[in-house]
Amino acid sequence: MSGATIFFSIFSLILAALLALLTIPVLVWLERRVCALIQDRLGPNRTNIYGFRLGGVVQSFADVVKLLFKEEYYPSHISYGRWIFILAPIITFASALLAFMVIPFADDIRMGSESFPICALPIEYGILWYMAISSVGVTGMVLGGWLSHNKYSLLGALRAVSQMIGYELALGLGIVSMIATYGTVNLNEMVAWQSTTVASVIPAWGVLIQPLAALIVITALFVETNRAPFSVVEGESEIVAGVFTEYSAMKFAMFFMGEYVAMNGASAIIVTLFFGGYQLPWVSTEWMVEHIVTVAVLFMIVIVPFTRYFISWMRRNNRVRLTVSTDGGRDFETAVLEKAIVLFAVVAEILALTVAFLPSDSEWIPIAVAIVQIFVFIVKLMIFNIFFIVVRWTLPRFRYDQIQILGWKYLLPLSLVNIFVTAIVVVGVS
Amino acid sequence: MMQKRVKRVSRGDTGKGGSRYLSALAGGMAVTLGHMLGNLSDIRSVETLEYPEEEPGDITSRYRGLHRLTHREDGTIRCVACFMCATACPAGCISIEAMERDDGIAEKMPAKFRIDLLECIFCGYCVEACPCDAIRMDTGIFSIIGREREDFIMDRDRLLSHRGAFGEEDSRG
Repeated sequence: MSGATIFFSIFSLILAALLALLTIPVLVWLERRVCALIQDRLGPNRTNIYGFRLGGVVQSFADVVKLLFKEEYYPSHISYGRWIFILAPIITFASALLAFMVIPFADDIRMGSESFPICALPIEYGILWYMAISSVGVTGMVLGGWLSHNKYSLLGALRAVSQMIGYELALGLGIVSMIATYGTVNLNEMVAWQSTTVASVIPAWGVLIQPLAALIVITALFVETNRAPFSVVEGESEIVAGVFTEYSAMKFAMFFMGEYVAMNGASAIIVTLFFGGYQLPWVSTEWMVEHIVTVAVLFMIVIVPFTRYFISWMRRNNRVRLTVSTDGGRDFETAVLEKAIVLFAVVAEILALTVAFLPSDSEWIPIAVAIVQIFVFIVKLMIFNIFFIVVRWTLPRFRYDQIQILGWKYLLPLSLVNIFVTAIVVVGVS
Repeated sequence: MMQKRVKRVSRGDTGKGGSRYLSALAGGMAVTLGHMLGNLSDIRSVETLEYPEEEPGDITSRYRGLHRLTHREDGTIRCVACFMCATACPAGCISIEAMERDDGIAEKMPAKFRIDLLECIFCGYCVEACPCDAIRMDTGIFSIIGREREDFIMDRDRLLSHRGAFGEEDSRG
């Protein structure tokens, strides 16, 4: 095992851990801010450290501190099985986290004869791993709901299982039609397939080739993550908090974080299966490696208006109304952040310039391409996370029987028909 | 007669297999995304009160704020210690000790008049019950701060020191 292999393995592990774990506070904050903006409110925007509020994201860290120091509480009937009671949220969280690990963040870095995957768990059967591990999460909910010895919790657990069975089929069959289309179960090869074009105009993204499968899989993934409009497992308005009723402090936070990691993983799978993964449309990795000068120059051009717009947006919006007496340090924060952003942009420009002047056989070029692809992936990932959040705050919740009808009577037959048609087309083409 | 004013709204055709649902879904998403992007581009168009810095300006004379005991024209206490407010209080937060009044204006006056604000539910029954308009809730004060429990027990002198925010004639009832 060479040094480069170890380096890239550790790098991808750290990247995956950051993308899965550091996005939790950001996503919780995004959820609250996006919801507030949709409802014409402001959302959390006051917690700060020395005046730095970063739009309010500090609030999430304050919440974590609060949850850590909260009193541990156990229902009194749990005397022997306490460790299973604690294990339940850990199972849910760990399965969501592990399922996320197979997502490729960039194409394999090829240096001479060697190739290094940018993926925490670079296994050949990536999509099967996701399907297998992500459904284990429901086990934690069942354990938690059952051990809580509470009718509401048990109802929530029942709902979780029945919902999971109903939609796992549609999800699996929808993904099977994608596997038939791409002819592989390797997520990286799926993305490579999507970086080609159809009729040399349209990017061969899964959503354009298989729109029906995209609809089915995205719907089923909403159920898989237990988010609104399918959040009957928690069911605040009916069964208190469902499975989470008896959970408090960090044990509850584990369930809660598991939900956000699952949402992040579902977004990543949607991006990878249907929206070209880490690739820019029309552009394959080989093209980018060959035309690295063009890519670098375009990057340098794009970064200037983007930075300018972001700074002007921050100047306009990081302040309070004129009638308010104090700005609470917002002006100071804007000034400091402006300098930081400009510095960041200058460093990025210098790096891009360096890349543009590299010799064409330099081994830094594939690394530069990988960094661009990681960036593209994160942007797509966040867009889909915001999509998840907007859907939650738009759609009213389904009634329980409506969920079952949608799953069994519409999505399942549709996905079967879709497989049938896909199979005919795939066989016909080949 | 009433039948004419009943407006019947059809439940709407959900379409075969809920096909209308998809278009309605897109319409709903357009509305929420429009609100989100509009507010994101100009955060100051969001009409919320920046509370600690901005005070609410829409408190009317009917608002039930902190209690006060009113004065007579000569500046003495109006309360005659009849215990009507303490009897009407559903939370049992008013405790009164009566004493004899020597100046001939009334027979009795309160020696002690205590309202425990931690018990009070601000229902306003005491104001309704008072036969001589001696207690009111028209101070417009809605934020009461203390460091100890004792700070929230309003005694007679503190209640007398509160001023009405809307003039003498308002909120008499």
